[in-house]
Amino acid sequence: MTTPYIPSRLSIIVPVGARRTNLKTLYAEYKAGTAAIGLPYEFIFVLDGPRVDAARALEELQRAGEPITIVNLTRCFGEAAALMAGFERSSGDTILTLPAYHQVEGSDLRKLIAALDSADVAIGYRFPRAGNALEKVRRAAFHGLVNFVTGSRFRDLGCGVRALRRQVFEELDLYGDQHRFLAILATRLGFRVAEVAVTQSPHDRHSRVYRPREYAHHLLDLISIFFLVRFTKKPLRFFGMIGVVTFAVGALLITYLGIDRIAFNESLADRPALLLAALLIVLGMQIFALGLLGELIIFTHARSLKDYRVEAVIHYPESEGSSSAGNDPESASGDRALSKSASSAVA
Amino acid sequence: MGSAIVTTPAHTCVARAESSSNADSVRRHDRPALSIIVPLYNEQESVRPLYAAIVQAAGQLGRTFEMVFVDDGSTDATVDIVDEIARIDSRLRLIKFRRNYGQTPAMAAGIEYARGEILVTMDGDLQNDPADIGLLLERIEEGYDIVVGWRHNRQDKLISRKLPSRIANWLIGKVTGVPIRDNGCSLKAFRGDLIKQIPLYSEMHRFIPAMASIAGPRVAEIKVRHHARRYGKSKYGLSRIYKVLLDLMVIKTVATFASRPMRWFALLALPLFVLSCAAFVHSVLAVVGGADMSMPVAGSGIVFLASAMILLCSGALAELTYARGDIRDRDFLKLTQTVSGPGSDLP
Repeated sequence: MTTPYIPSRLSIIVPVGARRTNLKTLYAEYKAGTAAIGLPYEFIFVLDGPRVDAARALEELQRAGEPITIVNLTRCFGEAAALMAGFERSSGDTILTLPAYHQVEGSDLRKLIAALDSADVAIGYRFPRAGNALEKVRRAAFHGLVNFVTGSRFRDLGCGVRALRRQVFEELDLYGDQHRFLAILATRLGFRVAEVAVTQSPHDRHSRVYRPREYAHHLLDLISIFFLVRFTKKPLRFFGMIGVVTFAVGALLITYLGIDRIAFNESLADRPALLLAALLIVLGMQIFALGLLGELIIFTHARSLKDYRVEAVIHYPESEGSSSAGNDPESASGDRALSKSASSAVA
Repeated sequence: MGSAIVTTPAHTCVARAESSSNADSVRRHDRPALSIIVPLYNEQESVRPLYAAIVQAAGQLGRTFEMVFVDDGSTDATVDIVDEIARIDSRLRLIKFRRNYGQTPAMAAGIEYARGEILVTMDGDLQNDPADIGLLLERIEEGYDIVVGWRHNRQDKLISRKLPSRIANWLIGKVTGVPIRDNGCSLKAFRGDLIKQIPLYSEMHRFIPAMASIAGPRVAEIKVRHHARRYGKSKYGLSRIYKVLLDLMVIKTVATFASRPMRWFALLALPLFVLSCAAFVHSVLAVVGGADMSMPVAGSGIVFLASAMILLCSGALAELTYARGDIRDRDFLKLTQTVSGPGSDLP
């Protein structure tokens, strides 16, 4: 019953951050790859913060008559926000996000669009992938952890090449560093996500050295996605369990101390274990209280936080045999995080 | 498969106006007297007999009705079968989920999309008998807001199903103060305006009457028939008890304290405050008596005091959350209040 997906117009969004190459050569390559798909297209470059050289290069392209929209963000809002800003300017029914540096061969873009036939999101997966043993271990560890935590199985979340149906973007509400987890978040919304093997660009085959800070960021991202995926719906279940266990350990310890005091006349006041027990009890209650607070947030917003996504409403009204109302009350979730943060930055 | 019937959810301002709040305009048009909501998950054998039984039973009631089937991401032919039925019966509408979300979201979606003045929910596996709908309606007409079915001659195994359920129902009744003998029975009738205001999330379909108790409804319980499962497999088991208990705790706290969050936290903080006072007195007495102050005791006292303060601050945060949330007691009291005297003329 699913109708075949026929894309009619491509919007290509390129967030331009600190990591970027010569945009002119990059654009030429992407353009060649896009033209091969044979659909009308538009390019949207989102400059995440002032990037003077990039802006100049893009304006030159614009003057040369290329179909480029440039969105200038006044400060660096992050890649996820840049993607959303670009999406708001887009008009295509199929969105292609591309990194501002060479990651894959432009000629492979076709494969991603083709994959949308049976999926809502197609993400690139660089294969075969260059890199030394250390990098491979690092990548495997990161993806292993992510997949373990979220129950998904993706192999290249760092790849910025993704094709999405417009509807997916409309429902996604990315913020912070969530672009990396776009595939996971889309899966969570019930969309079908396909991984497509793409050829790694020769420019991408050098080894990158990661600084400790980046490892820390990766780890924090992982923790935030863990909470987002697992516990945003049932905060009291999660915090309540941890809190109750901590409290119970503290209570047991204090009971033991109390019995010792009464039965064996061991002075309570001299025992540092008393302090530990007090800390555990207090910690348990605090964690539990956080769960209550979370639960209250969920409860008071339950009407706007729907757990489900409606794909279609099938109904054949008596008068006209054809039309049907397909409504998803969910995707009207309102203002994007981006517009809010943009306005507050002005103020 | 013929002409376009399934429109994917696209534009949502329309959906908002149509599906929710705007009850007045719906009433003026063609609001049916009765909506029958059935969540379906892989019920390809049951769907046709179920449909026939509903139409037969509801047809005898002499009022307009609609059927809202919610497909919870079935992987079998359920959707195709319902689609076929919907083509010949405009009273049927199918809400199709993008993937499997569970029974509570399915119920919540059915309630949201239903337009009737009275909503009836029932199982999709033919365990409930649609012939009982008339009995439920009679009670609603007597002035009850919620009528729940009680499977008094339940056709299930005693040890693995009936006994745990009896204990759970007793416990739920004790804790929530809504003494219902059979919370697990899906056959229930609700006044539409009321149930649409009740937030349903997590796994609360078992606790709809308890959750609805935040609105102070008049609840009745009547005996209904119960048939053994004919097709498919039961999707329940003993393993759910732990989840039921936690959900029960959540509902209890939310229902009693959501509108007074400061009390939760004050209640948690109070014993800590008492303990810290005790520690303080102990220390003062020690010093007055000329002895050394005991470090563990004084330390625990400080820890308890600090924690009590943080809990009170969390309480303030919780108050803020409630004050800023969309779900408030004043919405609920309007649904159930009765007014007499001169003020009753006001809208």
